[in-house]
Order: sequence, then C-alpha cells, then structure tokens
Amino acid sequence: MSAQRAENAEHADGVEGPTDSEAPLLDVRGLRTEFRTEGDPVVASNGVSFSLDRGETMGLVGESGAGKSVTARSIMRLIDTPGEITGGEVVFDGEDLLEKSEKQMRDIRGNRIAMIPQDPMSSLNPVMTVGEQIIETIRRHQDVSKSEARELAIESMDDVGIPDAAERIDDYPHEFSGGMRQRVLVAIGFSCEPDLIIADEPTTALDVTTQAKILDLLNEMQERENTAVLMITHNLGVVAQTCDHVGVMYAGNLVETAELEDLFERPRHPYTRALIDSIPEVDSEYDELPTLDGAMPDLSDLPSGCNFAPRCPHATEACRTGGDPALESVGDSTSRAACIHAEDLDLSESTAVEAGSGRREIDRSGEPLFEVRNLKKYFSAGDGVLGNVRLSWDGGGLPSVERRYVKAVDDVSFDIYPGETVGLVGESGCGKSTVARTVLRLLEPTDGEVYFEGEPIHDLGSGAIRSLRREMQIIFQDPHSSLNPRKPVGRIIGRAMERHDIATGEEKRERVGELLERVGLSAEAASKYPHEFSGGQQQRVAIAHALAVEPKLIVCDEPVSALDVSVQAQILNLLNEIQAETDISYLFISHNIGVVRHICDRVAVMYLGKIAEFGRIGDVFSAPFHPYTESLLSAVPHANPNRKTDRILLEGSVPSPIDPPSGCPFQTRCPKKIGEVCETDVPELEDVGDDDHRISCHLSIEEMSERDSFIRAERQSAETVESD
Amino acid sequence: MYNYVIRRVGFMAVTLFLVTLIAFAVTNILPGNVALVILGPNATEESLAALQAQLGLNRPLYVQYFDWVLGLLQGDMGQSLRFGEPVAALIAERLPRSLLLAVTATLIAVALSIPLGVYAAVNQNEAPDLTASMFAFVGISMPIFLWGLVFILIFAVWFNLFPTGGYVSPTEDLVGSLHRLVLPASAMGFALTAYIMRMTRSSMLEVLSAEYIKLARAKGMSQRVVVLRHALKNAVIPVITVIAFQFSYAFGGVVVLEEVFFWPGIGRLTLTAIQSRDIPLIQGCIIVVALIYMISNFAADLLYAYFDPRIRYGGEE
Repeated sequence: MSAQRAENAEHADGVEGPTDSEAPLLDVRGLRTEFRTEGDPVVASNGVSFSLDRGETMGLVGESGAGKSVTARSIMRLIDTPGEITGGEVVFDGEDLLEKSEKQMRDIRGNRIAMIPQDPMSSLNPVMTVGEQIIETIRRHQDVSKSEARELAIESMDDVGIPDAAERIDDYPHEFSGGMRQRVLVAIGFSCEPDLIIADEPTTALDVTTQAKILDLLNEMQERENTAVLMITHNLGVVAQTCDHVGVMYAGNLVETAELEDLFERPRHPYTRALIDSIPEVDSEYDELPTLDGAMPDLSDLPSGCNFAPRCPHATEACRTGGDPALESVGDSTSRAACIHAEDLDLSESTAVEAGSGRREIDRSGEPLFEVRNLKKYFSAGDGVLGNVRLSWDGGGLPSVERRYVKAVDDVSFDIYPGETVGLVGESGCGKSTVARTVLRLLEPTDGEVYFEGEPIHDLGSGAIRSLRREMQIIFQDPHSSLNPRKPVGRIIGRAMERHDIATGEEKRERVGELLERVGLSAEAASKYPHEFSGGQQQRVAIAHALAVEPKLIVCDEPVSALDVSVQAQILNLLNEIQAETDISYLFISHNIGVVRHICDRVAVMYLGKIAEFGRIGDVFSAPFHPYTESLLSAVPHANPNRKTDRILLEGSVPSPIDPPSGCPFQTRCPKKIGEVCETDVPELEDVGDDDHRISCHLSIEEMSERDSFIRAERQSAETVESD
Repeated sequence: MYNYVIRRVGFMAVTLFLVTLIAFAVTNILPGNVALVILGPNATEESLAALQAQLGLNRPLYVQYFDWVLGLLQGDMGQSLRFGEPVAALIAERLPRSLLLAVTATLIAVALSIPLGVYAAVNQNEAPDLTASMFAFVGISMPIFLWGLVFILIFAVWFNLFPTGGYVSPTEDLVGSLHRLVLPASAMGFALTAYIMRMTRSSMLEVLSAEYIKLARAKGMSQRVVVLRHALKNAVIPVITVIAFQFSYAFGGVVVLEEVFFWPGIGRLTLTAIQSRDIPLIQGCIIVVALIYMISNFAADLLYAYFDPRIRYGGEE
C-alpha cells in the first residue's frame, strides 16, 4: 500500500490508479465551515488542510464534536443550514468542488465521491427495497437500462458478500440484520465505482464480530477498485487496522497529521498521545484505566491560547496566551502538528501506567450477595389468530397445541460476591440486558430463582420488591433519557433519599452535595438541570442517583457505551474507586470486551440466551476458550498498527431465538464444530479447571486450548502478515 | 396479514355489539314518549296504551333488546315510527348521498393538504410555510358549518356560481348533481384540509432530517427525487390515520352541514329521527355511523401495511 505524506505528494513515485496524475486525488486547503446560530458563528471546521492519493486510506479521528463529520460533509458540500462553507478549497481530481454548481455537485455525489454512513439501522429508506435504493444510484449516474441496472445491483450485492443477492434484492431493509444492512450501504457506496469513499464511522453501530467483517470487506473492495477512503472514526483500533495515514482533529482544527506508524510510535501532539493512551489494551492490566481528563471546549467559547492547553499536561504559559498554533511540519519528519512544543516534546512513550497488579482478590468463601439460578425469561411470540398458540397438524388426527416463545434468557446461573464485579458480555440480542432487567424484577422471570442476601427475589410481592430496590440500583446506557429533564439534579437525587427514608431537609441537601462531589461534580451542580450537563457528566449524575440510597448492588447496563473513549475511562475509574471504598458489587452488562476486561472480576459470555463461558477474567481471556469467546476476542481491533490480528470470522448471523438451533446454540456458526453431537446434544456448562471456570462445549479441554495464549497467537499471526 | 384481518374483524364484531348496547340504552333513556309524539298531546290514556302495546314498547327492555339485535343480524332494523317505512330502506336511500359528500370532501382535502404540507415543510419557516400555517390555524379554529355558511355567502350569494343547497341524484342529472355537490363538499374539504396539512408538514419535517434522506442526497439525488420519492412515502404513513380520523369526523360533521345545505343525507335523517323520538330510526343511524367509523379506521390500518413494509400484520418473515 502506498502511503504518501500530504505535503510531498508531488514527489510521490508509487502513485497507483487509472490516471497517471501526479497530483493527489483530493487536496483540501484551508477548509472552513461555520454554523450561524443566534450568537457568534461557530467554526466547526477551521482551516483544515490535508490531501489523499488514489487508493489510500486516511483516518480522521477525534472525540465527538471535533469536527470530523462536518469536514467530511463539507467535502461533498452536504452541509445543511445554518451551516455554511466560508472558505478554502476542496480540489478533487484537479477541480475545486467549492466552485461547482449544485447541479454539477449532484453528478459527483454518489458517482465519483460516495458516502458510507454510520448507522445501518436508520440510513436505509424503510419503505424502499434495498434493490430500489442501489438501482436508483446506478441509474442516476450511469446510462443503463432498468434491467441492466438491476443486474449491476445484484452484482454489487454479490461483491459485498450478501448471500442469494438475486433473491434478496427485492427485500426491504428491515428484513436484513444490522451487519447485512451495513453491507448494503457498502454496496451503494461502491455501486458507481467512485474514486473516493467517505466512510463516516462505518462500524460504530455494529457488534465487534460484524465490525471485523465489514472492515475486511471495505479493505477488499478498496483494493479491488483502487478507491481512496476517508475513514472517519473515534476508534483508534479501527484506524490502526485500516489506514495509511491519519489526521487527528480537535475542536474544529486538524492538530496532527502523520503516517500511521509514526502516529502510533511517535505522536507529535499531546492530544494524539492522550487519545492513544486512553484506550485500554485488552491484554494489559491497569490499576487505574488511563484517562484523558477534561472535555473538549465549547466551540462557541474557545480558550484564548491553544485549544488543547486546558487539558494538556505539557502546556506552558506560551501555550495559554499565544493563540491557537498552526499545523506545521515537525523537524524533518513527515508528521505535522499544531503544537508550539512539537519539536521539543518526546511523546513516544506511553504515559499510561501499566501496573501488573490488576484487580484485587475477591473473598468468595462466604455467602454470595446475589445468586441467580436457572433463570429463564421467555417472551410470547404472539402473532397468530390465537396469540402465541399455534396449532400443528403434524401428528395427524387432532391438532396439537404448541406455544411459541422468544427464549431471551434460557437457563442462566451465576452469583456475585460482596465487592465483586461480574460482567455479562455478548453481542446484541444475546439476552444480557434481559438478564439485568429480570433479576431486578423489572421484568417477571418465566422460571428460575434469584436470591439477594438469601431473600428470594423471585418470590417477593411488589411491596417487598420496592423496599429491596434500596439495596439494588440500576444505571442505564442513556443517562439523558433516564433523568427527569424537568427537575434539577439535586431534587432528583434528593427524592431517592426521601423515598427510602435515608435523609431529609438539611441533611439531605448536604448529602446530595457530598455525592455530587464524590462523582466528580461540584456541589453547586445540584441546582442545574440534566440538559446542562454533557453526556459523561449526566452519567455521573446517574451514578450519584444510584448511590444516594446506599445500595449493595448496582446493575450497570451498558453504562459507558454512549460515551467517548476518554470519558468512558473516567466513568469506569469512578465505578472502581467507589467499589474500593464501599465494597459495593456490580453486575456489569456490556458488548465491549475491552471494557469488561478492565472492570470485571468474573465474566459470563452469553450467546442466544445461554452462558457459553463463565469464569474469572484471567481464565476467560486465556485458554481454554469457548470457540465463541475465542472469535469475539480475535475480532477486537487493537490500537497498534503492528498487531494486525488474525481474526476468526463467524459465518452468517445470530439465529432467531424463536427457533434456536438444536443442540449447541452456537453450532450453526462455530468454526470448530465437531459434527453431529453438536447438532443433537446441548452441551453442559462444565468445569474446565480450578477456580470455577466453566465452558459449555463438546470439545475437549485440549482442543479448546490450541490457542494456548491468545496474545502469542496474535503475534505469530502478525509475523506471518509481515512476511507476506 | 390474513391472521390480522381475521382478528380485526373479530374485534370489530365485539365493538359493534357494545355499540348496540349503548345505542339501545341511550335511546331508551331519552325523555319523551313515542306514542305521545305520534298521537299528539290530546290522546287519551287508553289509546296511548294501545299504541304502546302495538309497537311492543310495553315489553321488558331486555326482550326488546334481543328482539332488536336478532332483527339486526337478519338485516332488519325495524320499522320507522315517523315514516312508517323500514329503517333499513330509509338508511339505504340516504347513506350513499352522505357518503358521496364525505368521500368527495375527503378527496378534496387530501388533494389540497398533502401538496401544501409538503410545500410548507420544504420551505420551512419561509413565507409559504408561514402562510400555510396561518391558513391551517384559521381552518382548525372554524367549525365545519361555519365554513359552509362562508362558502354559501361567497360563492352562492355574492358570485352566484353555485346553488345555495339541495340535492340531485347523479344518476338522473350528473351535471346538476355535481353542481350542487361542489359547495358542500369543498366547505367540508376545506375544514378537513387544515388538520391534515399540519400533520403532513410536521411528519415531512421529521422525515427530511432522517439519515436515509442525508444518504439519498449523498447519492446525488435531486431535491425533487429526495422529497417525492424518499421522503413523501415515509411521511404519509402517520398521515393516513389522520385522514381516516378526519373522514370519520367529516361523517359526524355532515349532521349539521347537511342541514345548512339542505342535503337529504343520513345527517338530516338522524336529526329528524331525534326530533320525532323515532327510536328504531335513531338506533339504526347510530349503528350505521359507528360501522362507517370502524370501517374507515380498519381501512387506514390496511393502508398502513401497504405503505409501510415493516408492518406485515402477524407476518412470519
């Protein structure tokens, strides 16, 4: 792969592609996009300059609000009012797109520059078949007949790996899974063989195994068509796996551009270093997760000096007063950085403290705090004349009555000890959130037992449950929708105390202030309303609210999934600190394996409503592996370009929980399937070693231990890749 | 889909049963005595009693009810006391006229309101949008009959373009019939337009900010294609319910509007029935109007499925 630096692209000798042009395919110069709101205009993209050659992939990274998407949409001139491009040039294949008429731009969009959007669930028109949506793109830009366009559309669906494309072309988007929809979006993007693809967080909304497949697909399509890709992402793991060079954005500015390897080995801007450090590596142990403190400044109220100075550990007086530095070459390297100290700083060493101690040992000799036994939660799959009852005439004679259920949770058991964090991890639809809601009796369990300090929760009346709620709290993924928008947060937290007779009056006010300070906000925050806080701060409020009643257990349902990586680590550290102080227990639900790795003591890997593997973090993350755990771990992209992982790609998608596969639920996709036994016998969750490490698989322990250490296998594969 | 239709028809039957109960109860609570209305204030006690016995009004209420429901099931709605004709025949004569009026009005409303709503949404907060919103506000604030009076004043009295009222059967005189249909139908259509337009506008605004609209633009689609092909078909889905609701509302509105325009439809029939305490006729009218209401909502749900492929009632896919 050729990876030229922006500045000396004219000296490039390895330019590939159909045209022998020496100039870069895309050359963005001083692009400025403003949003005119009531006050002063907000500059969302401030003098951004970079270039991209044919066939190259450039990453654009940064926290949310950094201006990545605005920059990308400005290139296509798709900025909605009140936004406006107020300066610069976007030279694409020798022509400035900002000079073009709207009509000329329409001929370019989808044809020469195409976009792959972020969310596969909302980016396809629900009332048009996927075929119509691909065909209309082809017919818009190519002079072909309807039937030819249809052929081309089927071909493009084939190319992106949609099985039975010819039959599925007339299906509607909702009939496809998320991963398949993302493939349709990729097919639309590539349908007119564009020179440039702008991929805006193309895998953010996907599960990790699907993400791996889509990234591979993008790479493959790109190589085949020699397309340039501008990859917008907040995930440095994705960048490390896919990009040739990278631009880092902060508060509307490009603060660093560099070759991929240089960026990771020797970042030149402190923000880049901080971004890299804020990602917990799956195979490292930390006492405290590395964080990137503070938040991006409000774009309408930027600091007087360098925008990053307030968060920068290396900031000096000159940084704070000297205005925002321009992006300049650093020494004789190919990197550019917007930092006045870039020449002097050596940021090649990670500042993250990587301590080997990991999590403290949990005393599991006593009684568990919380115990779940054979929990089942079935939802009625009612859609026939008779609800969920179906008559079947299979046996002849009288029809037999059959009830149909979605088995969301099917026979799940685990326990949690005081001071312990137990994780539930799995892809969307595996039933982990249903477990969380059912154990708290927010949903009625179909069957099974749940004990809290010996109390049978499954047997309690609603009054007793309500008083138990004081001991068991829940934090949801989206704090914005779980906090009452019409009340100041002090009242929200205070009410919880009153309801459970913990404190009233002056004492209550004091405790609210203490709690807010405990979660890293100020006591004065009590009088503010939820919308006045950022996403991370709202989650802090939600934690304070949960802590208000002094619970012994908090169920955390994807508590950091909606947050930026930097904020994620802050929240996880906060949860850990609170646990160290109060010996509270957590049931932690997440689809993010990296997060689970760093907050949990034990973890249950769930697949189709069942536990596939359960054990201590160290045991689950090392051999023997359940084949599903192994593929999940292999799919996590590492934020290290030298460690291209050898991914185990799963075939197909998760089967329907209404008609789960016979035998082992994972057998339809298992890369290590033995044969008939997997289809007929349901494997038991059996001990595979000491320390209560259990796996539900027919394979022998030896067979599950082939990859004796996950990390080593990875390095080996990295070597093979390099020798290719 | 098949399952869904069966279930819906089942629900409709249950609803209809409840409607018969209510209709029967209400008409029997109404003050006034049929025999007295028929015979006049000078009738003797004996003749009143004799007439009541003849009409079967002295039987226990539950007997009267079952008698009536049994008749209904066989299509017999009883005998109108006032007209001395079968209720079913009276309704069969009037109902098509009212339907003609309500359907035409709804068509006019849809033809006006959807393009206007789309136009207003596309030009959000600009002059056309503000004008249309203002118009909608006035439209919603005015009751249907007031629109009727305004239309009569302008088009019949001032400009003398259309007759002030009356009805001619389209099978006898098509032109004359249409001529008389224009004013009442447009008056009612205008009253309905406002609400449907507002709904179309807000639904359209929501759809236009959807991700798939952004993608359509990024594919190089023109504004016309984005609005008409991508946005409208999505935006119209919630509007369908509103249209069905407005149609039912129009059917309620005809009671007064028919009086304004001397339109001999089911509305005027109901009024006459109530004035003369003609219990079987009142009951018959209630049942028929309720049935129309249910059918139009059912039709809306089926249309929903047609426009929104995600809804395949009870589907297995």
